[in-house]
Amino acid sequence: MTEPPLANDDVWVIIRCFNESQVVRGVIEELRQHFPHVVGVDDGSRDTSSAEMVAAGAVVVRHAINLGGGAALQTGVEFALLDPQAKYFVCFDADGQHRPEDALSMVERLRRGEEDILIGSRFLGSAAGMPRSRRIVLRMARIFERLTTGVSLTDAHNGLRAFTRAFAERIDLQMADMAYASELLGLIKQSGMRYAEHPVTIQYTEYSMAKGQRSINSVNIAMDIWLHQFLKGRRR
Amino acid sequence: MIAIKIVLILAIAVMFWAFRNRSRVGLRAGARVAVILLAVIAAVSIIQPSVAQAAADQLGVTRGTDLLLYLLVMVFAASSLGFYFRFRDLERRLADLTRAQAIREAVSVQGLPRGMASPALPDRTAEQRARLS
Repeated sequence: MTEPPLANDDVWVIIRCFNESQVVRGVIEELRQHFPHVVGVDDGSRDTSSAEMVAAGAVVVRHAINLGGGAALQTGVEFALLDPQAKYFVCFDADGQHRPEDALSMVERLRRGEEDILIGSRFLGSAAGMPRSRRIVLRMARIFERLTTGVSLTDAHNGLRAFTRAFAERIDLQMADMAYASELLGLIKQSGMRYAEHPVTIQYTEYSMAKGQRSINSVNIAMDIWLHQFLKGRRR
Repeated sequence: MIAIKIVLILAIAVMFWAFRNRSRVGLRAGARVAVILLAVIAAVSIIQPSVAQAAADQLGVTRGTDLLLYLLVMVFAASSLGFYFRFRDLERRLADLTRAQAIREAVSVQGLPRGMASPALPDRTAEQRARLS
Protein backbone atom coordinates (compact mmCIF):
# COMPACT_ATOMS: atom_id res chain seq x y z
CA MET A 1 0.00 0.00 0.00
CA THR A 2 1.51 3.30 -1.05
CA GLU A 3 1.38 6.36 1.16
CA PRO A 4 -1.50 8.54 0.05
CA PRO A 5 -0.59 11.92 -1.38
CA LEU A 6 -1.47 15.09 0.47
CA ALA A 7 -3.29 16.58 -2.46
CA ASN A 8 -7.07 16.28 -2.43
CA ASP A 9 -7.09 15.95 1.34
CA ASP A 10 -10.52 17.58 1.36
CA VAL A 11 -12.04 15.06 -1.00
CA TRP A 12 -13.90 11.86 -0.14
CA VAL A 13 -14.47 9.27 -2.80
CA ILE A 14 -17.49 7.07 -2.19
CA ILE A 15 -17.45 3.61 -3.69
CA ARG A 16 -20.54 1.49 -3.63
CA CYS A 17 -19.77 -2.14 -3.80
CA PHE A 18 -21.87 -5.28 -4.05
CA ASN A 19 -20.02 -8.53 -4.74
CA GLU A 20 -17.14 -6.94 -6.59
CA SER A 21 -14.25 -8.69 -4.83
CA GLN A 22 -12.49 -9.47 -8.12
CA VAL A 23 -11.98 -5.89 -9.17
CA VAL A 24 -12.67 -3.49 -6.31
CA ARG A 25 -9.17 -3.67 -4.83
CA GLY A 26 -7.54 -2.59 -8.07
CA VAL A 27 -10.08 0.20 -8.55
CA ILE A 28 -9.47 1.63 -5.07
CA GLU A 29 -5.68 1.28 -5.26
CA GLU A 30 -5.72 3.24 -8.49
CA LEU A 31 -8.01 5.87 -6.95
CA ARG A 32 -5.81 6.22 -3.88
CA GLN A 33 -2.95 7.43 -6.03
CA HIS A 34 -4.97 10.62 -6.42
CA PHE A 35 -7.33 10.64 -3.45
CA PRO A 36 -6.25 9.81 0.11
CA HIS A 37 -9.77 9.35 1.45
CA VAL A 38 -11.90 6.59 0.07
CA VAL A 39 -14.95 5.17 1.78
CA GLY A 40 -16.17 1.84 0.48
CA VAL A 41 -19.78 1.02 1.18
CA ASP A 42 -20.15 -2.73 1.11
CA ASP A 43 -23.82 -3.21 0.34
CA GLY A 44 -24.18 -6.60 1.98
CA SER A 45 -21.77 -8.46 -0.29
CA ARG A 46 -21.55 -12.19 0.16
CA ASP A 47 -17.96 -12.32 -1.02
CA THR A 48 -14.73 -10.82 0.31
CA SER A 49 -15.38 -7.32 -1.02
CA SER A 50 -15.02 -5.72 2.43
CA ALA A 51 -11.62 -7.29 3.06
CA GLU A 52 -10.43 -6.31 -0.41
CA MET A 53 -11.48 -2.72 0.15
CA VAL A 54 -9.73 -2.55 3.53
CA ALA A 55 -6.62 -4.05 1.96
CA ALA A 56 -6.71 -1.35 -0.70
CA GLY A 57 -6.73 1.31 2.00
CA ALA A 58 -10.37 2.33 2.07
CA VAL A 59 -12.50 2.89 5.12
CA VAL A 60 -15.32 0.38 4.92
CA VAL A 61 -18.92 0.82 5.97
CA ARG A 62 -20.81 -2.41 5.72
CA HIS A 63 -24.54 -2.86 5.30
CA ALA A 64 -25.71 -6.01 7.04
CA ILE A 65 -28.07 -6.74 4.17
CA ASN A 66 -28.18 -5.68 0.55
CA LEU A 67 -30.17 -2.47 0.17
CA GLY A 68 -29.37 -1.13 -3.26
CA GLY A 69 -27.45 1.68 -4.89
CA GLY A 70 -29.39 4.59 -3.45
CA ALA A 71 -29.06 3.46 0.15
CA ALA A 72 -25.36 2.73 -0.31
CA LEU A 73 -24.75 6.17 -1.74
CA GLN A 74 -26.65 7.76 1.13
CA THR A 75 -24.62 5.82 3.70
CA GLY A 76 -21.34 6.76 2.02
CA VAL A 77 -22.25 10.43 1.91
CA GLU A 78 -23.38 10.44 5.54
CA PHE A 79 -20.18 8.78 6.65
CA ALA A 80 -17.96 11.14 4.68
CA LEU A 81 -19.89 14.12 6.06
CA LEU A 82 -18.68 13.12 9.53
CA ASP A 83 -15.33 14.54 8.44
CA PRO A 84 -15.73 18.29 8.93
CA GLN A 85 -12.83 18.96 6.59
CA ALA A 86 -14.46 17.20 3.70
CA LYS A 87 -15.35 19.72 1.01
CA TYR A 88 -15.82 17.63 -2.11
CA PHE A 89 -17.46 14.28 -2.64
CA VAL A 90 -17.04 11.94 -5.57
CA CYS A 91 -19.17 8.89 -6.34
CA PHE A 92 -17.31 6.21 -8.20
CA ASP A 93 -18.40 2.77 -9.39
CA ALA A 94 -16.61 -0.26 -8.03
CA ASP A 95 -16.62 -2.27 -11.22
CA GLY A 96 -13.84 -0.39 -12.96
CA GLN A 97 -15.93 1.36 -15.60
CA HIS A 98 -14.78 4.83 -14.52
CA ARG A 99 -11.33 6.38 -14.76
CA PRO A 100 -9.74 8.13 -11.75
CA GLU A 101 -8.46 10.85 -14.12
CA ASP A 102 -12.06 11.82 -14.83
CA ALA A 103 -12.81 12.07 -11.11
CA LEU A 104 -9.71 14.20 -10.71
CA SER A 105 -10.68 16.63 -13.43
CA MET A 106 -14.21 16.86 -12.00
CA VAL A 107 -12.85 17.84 -8.57
CA GLU A 108 -10.55 20.39 -10.17
CA ARG A 109 -13.52 21.86 -11.98
CA LEU A 110 -15.55 22.03 -8.75
CA ARG A 111 -12.66 23.85 -7.09
CA ARG A 112 -13.12 26.68 -9.55
CA GLY A 113 -16.42 27.24 -7.77
CA GLU A 114 -18.63 27.65 -10.79
CA GLU A 115 -20.75 24.56 -10.12
CA ASP A 116 -21.94 22.63 -7.09
CA ILE A 117 -22.71 19.38 -8.83
CA LEU A 118 -21.00 17.67 -11.73
CA ILE A 119 -22.45 14.62 -13.38
CA GLY A 120 -20.40 12.46 -15.69
CA SER A 121 -21.60 12.04 -19.21
CA ARG A 122 -20.40 9.32 -21.51
CA PHE A 123 -22.04 11.07 -24.44
CA LEU A 124 -19.96 14.18 -23.99
CA GLY A 125 -16.94 11.98 -23.43
CA SER A 126 -16.58 8.54 -24.85
CA ALA A 127 -17.94 5.12 -24.17
CA ALA A 128 -15.76 2.45 -25.63
CA GLY A 129 -17.68 -0.63 -26.66
CA MET A 130 -21.14 0.48 -25.59
CA PRO A 131 -23.76 -1.84 -27.03
CA ARG A 132 -26.43 -0.36 -29.25
CA SER A 133 -29.27 -1.51 -27.00
CA ARG A 134 -27.73 0.32 -24.05
CA ARG A 135 -27.53 3.48 -26.11
CA ILE A 136 -31.24 3.30 -26.94
CA VAL A 137 -32.25 2.63 -23.34
CA LEU A 138 -30.18 5.55 -22.11
CA ARG A 139 -31.71 7.83 -24.69
CA MET A 140 -35.19 6.87 -23.56
CA ALA A 141 -34.22 7.33 -19.92
CA ARG A 142 -33.06 10.82 -20.78
CA ILE A 143 -36.44 11.76 -22.20
CA PHE A 144 -38.20 10.17 -19.24
CA GLU A 145 -36.08 12.14 -16.80
CA ARG A 146 -36.63 15.40 -18.56
CA LEU A 147 -40.35 14.82 -18.22
CA THR A 148 -40.34 13.69 -14.59
CA THR A 149 -37.59 15.77 -13.00
CA GLY A 150 -37.22 18.71 -15.33
CA VAL A 151 -33.47 18.20 -15.45
CA SER A 152 -32.08 17.77 -18.91
CA LEU A 153 -28.90 15.76 -19.26
CA THR A 154 -27.21 13.93 -22.06
CA ASP A 155 -26.48 10.88 -19.94
CA ALA A 156 -29.22 9.67 -17.65
CA HIS A 157 -27.52 7.13 -15.46
CA ASN A 158 -23.87 7.75 -14.96
CA GLY A 159 -22.40 6.59 -11.66
CA LEU A 160 -19.59 9.12 -11.71
CA ARG A 161 -20.66 12.26 -9.90
CA ALA A 162 -18.92 14.96 -7.90
CA PHE A 163 -20.46 17.56 -5.65
CA THR A 164 -19.70 20.03 -2.92
CA ARG A 165 -20.42 19.70 0.78
CA ALA A 166 -23.37 22.07 0.45
CA PHE A 167 -25.13 19.63 -1.83
CA ALA A 168 -23.97 16.53 0.06
CA GLU A 169 -25.73 17.84 3.14
CA ARG A 170 -28.97 18.03 1.21
CA ILE A 171 -28.89 14.50 -0.13
CA ASP A 172 -31.69 12.47 1.37
CA LEU A 173 -32.48 9.56 -0.88
CA GLN A 174 -35.68 7.71 -0.20
CA MET A 175 -35.46 5.14 -2.94
CA ALA A 176 -33.01 2.43 -2.03
CA ASP A 177 -32.59 0.82 -5.42
CA MET A 178 -31.35 2.09 -8.76
CA ALA A 179 -34.26 4.50 -9.13
CA TYR A 180 -32.23 6.78 -6.89
CA ALA A 181 -30.46 8.23 -9.92
CA SER A 182 -33.63 9.97 -11.03
CA GLU A 183 -34.44 10.90 -7.46
CA LEU A 184 -31.03 12.53 -7.20
CA LEU A 185 -31.79 14.66 -10.25
CA GLY A 186 -35.01 15.73 -8.55
CA LEU A 187 -32.98 16.76 -5.50
CA ILE A 188 -30.61 18.73 -7.69
CA LYS A 189 -33.51 20.55 -9.25
CA GLN A 190 -35.08 21.24 -5.84
CA SER A 191 -31.84 22.52 -4.35
CA GLY A 192 -31.54 25.12 -7.09
CA MET A 193 -27.77 24.60 -7.08
CA ARG A 194 -25.65 24.92 -10.16
CA TYR A 195 -25.06 21.68 -11.97
CA ALA A 196 -23.31 20.70 -15.14
CA GLU A 197 -22.26 17.68 -17.05
CA HIS A 198 -18.67 16.68 -17.37
CA PRO A 199 -17.33 14.52 -20.17
CA VAL A 200 -16.06 11.18 -18.90
CA THR A 201 -14.90 7.97 -20.45
CA ILE A 202 -16.70 4.76 -19.64
CA GLN A 203 -14.74 1.60 -20.07
CA TYR A 204 -17.09 -1.18 -21.01
CA THR A 205 -15.07 -4.13 -19.88
CA GLU A 206 -16.30 -7.68 -20.09
CA TYR A 207 -16.55 -7.65 -16.33
CA SER A 208 -18.62 -4.47 -16.06
CA MET A 209 -20.91 -5.63 -18.85
CA ALA A 210 -21.62 -8.88 -17.06
CA LYS A 211 -22.14 -7.12 -13.73
CA GLY A 212 -24.05 -4.14 -15.03
CA GLN A 213 -27.77 -3.71 -15.05
CA ARG A 214 -29.93 -5.48 -17.53
CA SER A 215 -31.60 -2.99 -19.82
CA ILE A 216 -35.04 -4.38 -19.05
CA ASN A 217 -34.62 -3.24 -15.45
CA SER A 218 -35.21 0.30 -16.71
CA VAL A 219 -38.89 -0.58 -16.88
CA ASN A 220 -38.89 -1.35 -13.16
CA ILE A 221 -37.04 1.85 -12.42
CA ALA A 222 -39.44 3.96 -14.45
CA MET A 223 -42.46 2.41 -12.73
CA ASP A 224 -40.97 3.00 -9.29
CA ILE A 225 -40.28 6.63 -10.04
CA TRP A 226 -43.70 7.16 -11.48
CA LEU A 227 -45.43 5.62 -8.47
CA HIS A 228 -43.18 7.56 -6.14
CA GLN A 229 -44.14 10.86 -7.71
CA PHE A 230 -47.74 10.08 -8.44
CA LEU A 231 -48.77 8.70 -5.11
CA LYS A 232 -46.26 10.70 -3.10
CA GLY A 233 -43.31 8.88 -1.68
CA ARG A 234 -43.36 9.59 1.98
CA ARG A 235 -45.94 9.53 4.67
CA ARG A 236 -46.31 12.72 6.55
CA MET B 1 -76.41 1.09 -16.78
CA ILE B 2 -75.32 4.69 -16.18
CA ALA B 3 -75.69 4.47 -12.39
CA ILE B 4 -73.08 1.75 -11.95
CA LYS B 5 -70.62 3.62 -14.19
CA ILE B 6 -70.86 6.68 -12.00
CA VAL B 7 -70.50 4.59 -8.85
CA LEU B 8 -67.41 2.77 -10.15
CA ILE B 9 -65.70 5.88 -11.45
CA LEU B 10 -66.39 7.63 -8.15
CA ALA B 11 -65.02 4.64 -6.26
CA ILE B 12 -61.78 4.72 -8.28
CA ALA B 13 -61.44 8.46 -7.74
CA VAL B 14 -61.98 8.09 -3.99
CA MET B 15 -59.46 5.26 -3.84
CA PHE B 16 -56.88 7.31 -5.71
CA TRP B 17 -57.41 10.29 -3.43
CA ALA B 18 -57.28 8.06 -0.36
CA PHE B 19 -53.92 6.60 -1.33
CA ARG B 20 -52.43 9.98 -2.03
CA ASN B 21 -53.51 11.08 1.43
CA ARG B 22 -52.96 7.75 3.11
CA SER B 23 -51.33 9.18 6.21
CA ARG B 24 -54.51 10.86 7.43
CA VAL B 25 -55.82 9.30 10.59
CA GLY B 26 -59.38 9.77 9.44
CA LEU B 27 -58.72 7.68 6.37
CA ARG B 28 -57.26 4.85 8.35
CA ALA B 29 -60.37 4.92 10.50
CA GLY B 30 -62.43 4.98 7.30
CA ALA B 31 -60.66 1.86 6.05
CA ARG B 32 -61.58 0.02 9.24
CA VAL B 33 -65.20 1.12 8.96
CA ALA B 34 -65.21 -0.09 5.36
CA VAL B 35 -64.01 -3.51 6.51
CA ILE B 36 -66.86 -3.73 9.02
CA LEU B 37 -69.29 -2.59 6.34
CA LEU B 38 -68.06 -5.30 3.99
CA ALA B 39 -68.54 -7.89 6.72
CA VAL B 40 -72.11 -6.69 7.25
CA ILE B 41 -72.80 -6.84 3.50
CA ALA B 42 -71.39 -10.37 3.42
CA ALA B 43 -73.58 -11.46 6.34
CA VAL B 44 -76.71 -9.91 4.85
CA SER B 45 -76.17 -11.43 1.42
CA ILE B 46 -75.70 -14.86 2.95
CA ILE B 47 -78.89 -14.61 4.96
CA GLN B 48 -80.85 -13.00 2.15
CA PRO B 49 -79.17 -13.82 -1.23
CA SER B 50 -81.66 -11.79 -3.20
CA VAL B 51 -80.25 -8.46 -1.90
CA ALA B 52 -77.41 -8.67 -4.38
CA GLN B 53 -79.85 -8.92 -7.25
CA ALA B 54 -82.02 -6.17 -5.80
CA ALA B 55 -79.02 -3.85 -5.50
CA ALA B 56 -77.95 -4.75 -9.04
CA ASP B 57 -81.38 -3.83 -10.36
CA GLN B 58 -81.17 -0.48 -8.60
CA LEU B 59 -77.79 0.29 -10.18
CA GLY B 60 -78.68 -0.94 -13.65
CA VAL B 61 -76.47 -4.04 -13.49
CA THR B 62 -77.95 -7.15 -15.08
CA ARG B 63 -76.98 -9.72 -12.46
CA GLY B 64 -76.23 -9.53 -8.76
CA THR B 65 -73.17 -11.71 -9.43
CA ASP B 66 -71.73 -9.01 -11.69
CA LEU B 67 -72.19 -6.41 -9.00
CA LEU B 68 -70.34 -8.68 -6.58
CA LEU B 69 -67.53 -9.03 -9.11
CA TYR B 70 -67.21 -5.25 -9.38
CA LEU B 71 -67.04 -5.00 -5.61
CA LEU B 72 -64.42 -7.74 -5.48
CA VAL B 73 -62.24 -5.98 -8.05
CA MET B 74 -62.37 -2.72 -6.11
CA VAL B 75 -61.58 -4.39 -2.80
CA PHE B 76 -58.73 -6.34 -4.37
CA ALA B 77 -57.22 -3.21 -5.92
CA ALA B 78 -57.45 -1.33 -2.63
CA SER B 79 -55.86 -4.10 -0.61
CA SER B 80 -53.08 -4.61 -3.17
CA LEU B 81 -52.18 -0.94 -3.04
CA GLY B 82 -52.39 -1.03 0.73
CA PHE B 83 -49.91 -3.89 0.90
CA TYR B 84 -47.66 -2.22 -1.63
CA PHE B 85 -47.33 0.86 0.54
CA ARG B 86 -47.02 -1.10 3.73
CA PHE B 87 -44.14 -3.12 2.30
CA ARG B 88 -42.48 -0.07 0.94
CA ASP B 89 -42.59 1.72 4.27
CA LEU B 90 -41.21 -1.38 5.94
CA GLU B 91 -38.39 -1.56 3.43
CA ARG B 92 -37.58 2.06 4.09
CA ARG B 93 -37.44 1.50 7.82
CA LEU B 94 -35.21 -1.50 7.30
CA ALA B 95 -32.93 0.56 5.06
CA ASP B 96 -32.70 3.36 7.63
CA LEU B 97 -31.96 0.89 10.39
CA THR B 98 -29.31 -0.95 8.39
CA ARG B 99 -27.61 2.25 7.31
CA ALA B 100 -27.51 3.66 10.82
CA GLN B 101 -26.11 0.41 12.18
CA ALA B 102 -23.47 0.28 9.43
CA ILE B 103 -22.23 3.79 10.15
CA ARG B 104 -22.14 3.21 13.89
CA GLU B 105 -20.23 0.00 13.48
CA ALA B 106 -17.75 1.56 11.07
CA VAL B 107 -17.12 4.42 13.46
CA SER B 108 -16.75 2.18 16.50
CA VAL B 109 -14.34 -0.18 14.74
CA GLN B 110 -12.33 2.21 12.57
CA GLY B 111 -13.00 5.51 14.29
CA LEU B 112 -14.39 8.60 12.69
CA PRO B 113 -13.09 9.55 9.29
CA ARG B 114 -9.72 11.27 9.81
CA GLY B 115 -9.77 10.14 13.48
CA MET B 116 -11.69 13.07 14.89
CA ALA B 117 -11.38 13.63 18.61
CA SER B 118 -14.98 14.27 19.55
CA PRO B 119 -17.46 11.83 18.16
CA ALA B 120 -20.32 13.56 16.43
CA LEU B 121 -22.50 10.72 15.32
CA PRO B 122 -25.44 11.79 13.23
CA ASP B 123 -28.62 11.26 15.12
CA ARG B 124 -31.18 10.97 12.42
CA THR B 125 -33.54 8.91 14.47
CA ALA B 126 -35.83 11.81 15.32
CA GLU B 127 -36.03 12.79 11.70
CA GLN B 128 -36.60 9.21 10.64
CA ARG B 129 -39.27 8.79 13.25
CA ALA B 130 -41.05 11.83 11.89
CA ARG B 131 -40.82 10.41 8.42
CA LEU B 132 -42.01 6.96 9.28
CA SER B 133 -44.67 7.33 11.90
